[in-house]
Amino acid sequence: MELHDRLEEVFRQVFDNEALTLTNEMTAPDIEGWDSVAHINLMFGIEQAFGVRFKGNELAEMKNIGELKQFLIGKGAG
Amino acid sequence: MNIARAQCAASSITPETRGDDFRRKGQIEQAIEAYLDGVAAPPSAALCLKLARCYEQMANYAEACRWALSIVDAGDDFTSWQAGWALFQRNAQKARRPAARSVKVALLGSYTTTQLGPMLCLAAGRLGIHIDLYESRYGQYQQDILDHKSGLYAFSPNIVVLAVHEGDLHLPEYSQRPEEEIRKEVSRWTGLWRMVTERSRARIVQHNFALPCEVPTGHLTTRLSGSRYMMTQAVNMRLGEAAANAVSLVDCERLSALIGKQRWCDPRYWNMSKQAVALEALPLLGRHTAAVIAADLGLSRKCLVLDLDNTLWGGVIAEDGLGGIKLGQGPDGEAFVAFQEYLLKLKRKGVILTVCSKNNHADAIQPFEKHPEMRLKLQDIALFVANWESKPDNIRAIAKTLQIGLEALVFVDDNPVEREIVRKFLPEVDVIPLPEDPSYYLRTLSDYLLLETSSLTAEDTERTDQYRARAQIMELEAAAGSIEDFYRSLRMQAIVVPFDASQLPRIAQLIGKTNQFNLTTRRHGMAQLEAFVRDDSYVHLALRLRDRYTDHGLVSVMIARKQGHVLDIDTWLMSCRVIGRTVETTMLEQVCRRAAQLGCTSLRGTYIPTQKNAMAADAYAKHGFERVGDNEGTEIWTYDLTTKGLIANTFVTPVDSWELADDAC
Repeated sequence: MELHDRLEEVFRQVFDNEALTLTNEMTAPDIEGWDSVAHINLMFGIEQAFGVRFKGNELAEMKNIGELKQFLIGKGAG
Repeated sequence: MNIARAQCAASSITPETRGDDFRRKGQIEQAIEAYLDGVAAPPSAALCLKLARCYEQMANYAEACRWALSIVDAGDDFTSWQAGWALFQRNAQKARRPAARSVKVALLGSYTTTQLGPMLCLAAGRLGIHIDLYESRYGQYQQDILDHKSGLYAFSPNIVVLAVHEGDLHLPEYSQRPEEEIRKEVSRWTGLWRMVTERSRARIVQHNFALPCEVPTGHLTTRLSGSRYMMTQAVNMRLGEAAANAVSLVDCERLSALIGKQRWCDPRYWNMSKQAVALEALPLLGRHTAAVIAADLGLSRKCLVLDLDNTLWGGVIAEDGLGGIKLGQGPDGEAFVAFQEYLLKLKRKGVILTVCSKNNHADAIQPFEKHPEMRLKLQDIALFVANWESKPDNIRAIAKTLQIGLEALVFVDDNPVEREIVRKFLPEVDVIPLPEDPSYYLRTLSDYLLLETSSLTAEDTERTDQYRARAQIMELEAAAGSIEDFYRSLRMQAIVVPFDASQLPRIAQLIGKTNQFNLTTRRHGMAQLEAFVRDDSYVHLALRLRDRYTDHGLVSVMIARKQGHVLDIDTWLMSCRVIGRTVETTMLEQVCRRAAQLGCTSLRGTYIPTQKNAMAADAYAKHGFERVGDNEGTEIWTYDLTTKGLIANTFVTPVDSWELADDAC
């Protein structure tokens, strides 16, 4: 599976929404339920699914989906 | 269908990917069928989720709930649990599904418990408990308890869970007066308990304190009773004592060690959102907390229904016979013994053991009556059912005879087919999926959470045992003045008997393996041993040892041959696990008796030195034998029974069967 699809799958699990589709420009306000608790769950879900570890700072810094993807590619998850 | 499956295999498409394809095309029924084809035992969390979603689409909400809950059995993956809980909540409403029990739980935390709540609810749902949840605001557990007008009391909970963590303890990093600090901190908690109990009808479930993995004073810490680390341990202990029967504890210290302390707490998530228990560990914590609540509600299971062949021993008794089943020798044999010993421990805490086996009754009871390595005896089994009826029928009969509900039973069987049949026809009975490797039977059973108990009697039993063990150790230390006193304090007993068929594999194993205390290192095989047993001129002795703590099993072997008036010792060996306990003297004592019975006037011993058996070099000299000659490095020793009398050992009592004194087990 492509990185995009894998990431989308994590979002669908975390936000319990199978119809959810990701675009690179999306940010937290664009997705229903993306509050601070969901953010933690999301970061954890991504770590588990991609076998990566964010640094403490990175956990809080994710601005949009495109940035998140660049991060994952940077971590060797591409 | 068969053709379709064959094609799948050829193109290496799994049932799951087949189901995914159907779903994309909107063919939900076909998707469900494909997914169900892929269900292994236990099914993967991903598959459980897919099935739950399919059933939701089909508006079969009850099945959707069932599959959402089965995620609990599919491993401790937080993200799957989270998704499963969302699915369950949504479908449970539509299914109007009655839970076995509904209970109001207040979750009071010293850290962020937002994610723990759903884990607890999902795990409880799997146990048939519906939780109506109240959560204190972040870190407000004390305020909620102290303020009698708080939301906590307005909620009027049945259960209050104190989800607290080590960082919240009011203990200094180091104290000159640790006792005082510990007393103060323990009474802070017991004070909170008292207040909850006075102001509500709730039962308290307290998480105890997981010790941290960062320890500034290193190993020195364990010698510093004033260190925070040691004081925390003391607080855990005192809380356990103070809790008695009024408060339940979840042993987070054990759980954190189980998952690994570095995984239990992740500093990144603590720093970011005050998660004192990492998300990764929350399913585990949720499961265990739910199990303790279930026990408090009286929903624990009471009775194990045990299969026999390949469950309590390796092999099939009706085919392999008493000597052929694996029990007590080899890795598998040892594993079955360990499993039986664990079952005995469960029995001691009040779990009822029953047997349900497809066997002839006469075959099935044989090991219980005759096999020396059996730990379970017939009197340990409340009800013994061995026949050729179906297992569901027999299990129903067991419940009826014991007058307990099916929902009190747990089925333990190595055979996946039998397990599936019981699951299908008796859904009330819980089924433990034993792994293929018997080495892990014990651990699988110990991971099973529905045997938690919270009753007074069970606690009393455990406490009594602990105090007894402690007293025995103290007694031993006091008696350690002389080695003789030490031997006596062990209260050793030995059963020394001629070889019989059921013991031969263990004897052959000892003969094949023992290097150190082995006088001649002659490696007789099974055929040879069978020949000795048939030949009347041979004396053969197998010794089993037991002390006040443990049954050591068959640990020493001797083979001797009568040659006129001389009894010539061909083989004499002893397992190294009982070296230094005078067992060798007992073996000589017994062979002296046999020699006298046979009319022999002397014993002859042989010592063949090897690179490994120096330990046995003085075995004969020590017991008054005289060295009469050497033959190419082989020493010949002799003992005159008429002038020296019989050898005796006062430290080990020879018995025909174990004599259990009050404190011997």
